Amino acid sequence: MRVNLVLELLDVPGKLLEALEPIGKLGANIVAVIHQRDVKTERGTIPVHVTIEGDKETLEMVLKSMEDLGIQIMEVDGVMRKEKITTVLIGNIVEKNLKETMEILSGIEGVKVADLDLKMSDHPEQSASKIIVEADYGKKRDVLKKIKEIGSSKGFLVINEV
Amino acid sequence: MRICIIGFGAVGQGVARVISMKRDKVREKYGLDMELVAVTDSTGAAVSEEGLDPDLLLETKKKTGKVSEYPEHGVSDISGLEVMNEVEYDCLVEVTPTNIEDGEPARTHILAAFRAGKDVVTSNKGPLALSYSELIAEAESNSVQFKFEASVGGAMPILNFAHETLAGCDINSVFGILNGTTNFILSRMAKEGSSYEQTLNEAQQLGIAETNPAQDVDGIDAACKVVILANSILGRDVSFKDVEINGISKITPEAIYLAKKEGYLIKLIGEVSNEALEVSPRLVREGSPFAVGGTLNVATLKTDLAEDVTVVGKGAGSVETASAILSDIISVWKSRR
Ligand SMILES: NC(=O)c1ccc[n+]([C@@H]2O[C@H](COP(=O)([O-])OP(=O)(O)OC[C@H]3O[C@@H](n4cnc5c(N)ncnc54)[C@H](OP(=O)(O)O)[C@@H]3O)[C@@H](O)[C@H]2O)c1
Repeated sequence: MRVNLVLELLDVPGKLLEALEPIGKLGANIVAVIHQRDVKTERGTIPVHVTIEGDKETLEMVLKSMEDLGIQIMEVDGVMRKEKITTVLIGNIVEKNLKETMEILSGIEGVKVADLDLKMSDHPEQSASKIIVEADYGKKRDVLKKIKEIGSSKGFLVINEV
Repeated sequence: MRICIIGFGAVGQGVARVISMKRDKVREKYGLDMELVAVTDSTGAAVSEEGLDPDLLLETKKKTGKVSEYPEHGVSDISGLEVMNEVEYDCLVEVTPTNIEDGEPARTHILAAFRAGKDVVTSNKGPLALSYSELIAEAESNSVQFKFEASVGGAMPILNFAHETLAGCDINSVFGILNGTTNFILSRMAKEGSSYEQTLNEAQQLGIAETNPAQDVDGIDAACKVVILANSILGRDVSFKDVEINGISKITPEAIYLAKKEGYLIKLIGEVSNEALEVSPRLVREGSPFAVGGTLNVATLKTDLAEDVTVVGKGAGSVETASAILSDIISVWKSRR
């Protein structure tokens, strides 16, 4: 059988090979690989579409092994596995706050903080930070709720996606 | 149809203007003869059973600031309610200022009209945001028409659109930019990289933001519209106090910069769903239907049959808002025949 994957990879040499390694090693075939370089994010990641072929058990092992390697599988056969959630916080955000926020979010099962960005202002209370979270599909509401809680407990203004 | 306009500011004057512009067309097309029998402002009224001349009304208001200076038919020191009690009319157009404390004087005007068996068209959000279900019940028990398309998004069609054009669809949520002033400020900040204070100042100089901008920038105006949408479109029994409100005064250029880096804009969004009644700054994708600039309003209705439907339009303006009032007047007339 065949399966279509969408991976999110850093667009640097070696990353693609590393992601594809489990496929051959476990005895599956690569049918096609398409890079979507035109939709590169600020963090330098791009979606990569990969079609692989093999029997059911092998394909399952491949997916598991990729995940163990920390490779972000966003979609499997058109079904979303991961969602990206972007939030901007405004307020006097010091390093300690950010670390705590990251820990709380990473503490939710299936949730990983993928990126963090800060923009300081001369007026500390106007500083902003951006957090990008990658979460298992369906976790979005939990994550958004958590971020809101963190915001109100620390006095940040939380700007979530629509 | 004998029309009584209470309040003769931007919207009231817009109504007079569109009546002057469209009177013949409306008569020809719908058989509706619109007659202005009374118009009031805070200082008095102009009253005539034979009908007032809308152009002369506009000229009088412009020259003297008072409708009571209208030749021969002006009456000073008379309240809107007194006029309503004394004049024979069919449809009240209630366009006094929005008051979010107690909904007055509009609330009293509207209820008095219902109890006298008159139809009402309004753009006034106050009484709707505070006591929606009471007003609807009172209109129903008196078997009168009550229309308020202009109260949400000015000229942007949404209430009648949801009820008539999308009739048959279940509407599960509405998300929208429901306030033009805040959209202007946030769009400018994103374009110029300017601070909130600076941009608000500019908007005030351009006459887009009011001297006291609180109703707009603190999200109060948008919250009133969220309440009206929730009641009218989602059938929820809620009022102003049920809305969680965050305005835009804390938005910084730094936040806009970070959002932009990831392909987002920051907009003040009203959310009307079964999970939330909320007005708050949110991230919207560049290139999405919410990425409209200037003072435009926009709303996306999520439906079961038609999926997402989005409407865009001018959220304010004298003649623009009056266009929605005119369409309500015509629809009241149609239902009466
Ligand atoms: N402007 C828009 O684009 C827009 C869009 C959608 C909805 N709305 C809503 O439409 C309504 C009217 O807005 P607007 O912009 O026309 O307001 P406005 O320009 O402030 O005009 C208000 C008018 O009401 C009169 N007034 C005040 N108190 C009164 C009273 N007790 N009895 C009789 N008249 C009274 C004022 O008299 P004076 O002339 O003597 O001061 C004025 O003529 C508001 O509820 C607003 O929220 C406005």
